[in-house]
Amino acid sequence: MTSAVACNTEELLAVLMSREIHDWEISACGAVSMIPAAALLLAEATHAPNADIIILGSEQLDRNLGKDIHFLSQRGKLDLFFHSAIQFDAEGNFNLHVVGDPNAPELRLPGGYGSGLMSYTAKRILFFRTEHTTRTFVPKVDFVSGAMVTPPSIKRPQDNFKIFTTMAVLVFDRATNSYRLESVHEGFTPQQVQERTGFSLGSLEGIPVTPPPTAEELHTLRTEVKERMIETGTYPQWARTILQPA
Amino acid sequence: MGVPYIPVRGLAGTDVFKRRDDMIIATNPFDPTEETVVALAQNPNVAILHAQKADRDGNALLRKHGEDVMVAQASHRVIVTAEEIVDKVTADDEGGQFISAINVTAVVHAPGGAHPAGVPGYYEQDADHIREYMRAASDEALFRQYLAKYVIGKTEEEYQSMVRQGSRVEVHAAGGGG
Repeated sequence: MTSAVACNTEELLAVLMSREIHDWEISACGAVSMIPAAALLLAEATHAPNADIIILGSEQLDRNLGKDIHFLSQRGKLDLFFHSAIQFDAEGNFNLHVVGDPNAPELRLPGGYGSGLMSYTAKRILFFRTEHTTRTFVPKVDFVSGAMVTPPSIKRPQDNFKIFTTMAVLVFDRATNSYRLESVHEGFTPQQVQERTGFSLGSLEGIPVTPPPTAEELHTLRTEVKERMIETGTYPQWARTILQPA
Repeated sequence: MGVPYIPVRGLAGTDVFKRRDDMIIATNPFDPTEETVVALAQNPNVAILHAQKADRDGNALLRKHGEDVMVAQASHRVIVTAEEIVDKVTADDEGGQFISAINVTAVVHAPGGAHPAGVPGYYEQDADHIREYMRAASDEALFRQYLAKYVIGKTEEEYQSMVRQGSRVEVHAAGGGG
């Protein structure tokens, strides 16, 4: 029996995403992906000890792959890739390039590579976003960095994909090409999530509560994973400041 | 590779694709049910690559994780600038990625040539200078000032002596205990 333990947003998302990492698979995250890095290491420390994990922003855990990660993914051998975006829209497009007019942007983001290539070739994509607002979930993105719906002639994995936010887990259902709520985190209602989403999430009835992080998961994250991040040059400053004391 | 174009998995339906005229969607000639993006080969006239070491024949040792060898192979002419010119660089040398002289047109001795980026084993990146550059690059007038200060009408020696006043000195000082 485990009791609920308070945790911050980053810890919550790291724990929830770690549960999606499968043992024996190859899972990777790109640069500036601290939360996925923690999720990967947590999965490795718990239920996925034989997972191949690739953390591109890490000094020691990037596996020295260089362009091999690109070709691995192009060959369809990358099982899971983590991604973020500044905007998501109803049609499954996401934006990691610019906010505002693309020719005179208000904000410029690092953008293109993972969005345009990895998100098309990795078998499963997990998105994460540390806010849940109508500026993130919009009817139409300002710039399409990745189109998750393409004609059947474009051969690519077509699994459902998920977005993990501070309020909920959203699933993009390939059968209907629309988002629905998989679960809502403790402390929020499906109606509140819908209010902060700029497109319909379909039925709000019977949506389960996201199983919160267990005491064991948080303990491992705050001890073993934190130490490993610091030791291996995997966002050590982030690990020290964001992951709480055990 | 020498190919005129290459199929790429990805990019279909993106605004990146729509804004470029060097990529199209084409049918797989061996499978009419499949389409992919096809990208035009990029063949720069000249590539300039900075190495740790090079020899007079053009063999060089470059930073490990970059795609410099690919860039060299794609380019018509390749100039290698190097921290050090040594007698012989071979594929067995450690600490970098080997590029053969067959891919190199010319070699230039250019110590400090990566500034404000760093070279492993030689110097760290100059974070202050990069910040200065980024501030300048955000604004047309500031960028003109930057160019006037560091680039236009300046020799390599003048540039190096200006930037050496900054963090390069600190880097050497920080390494003084070793």
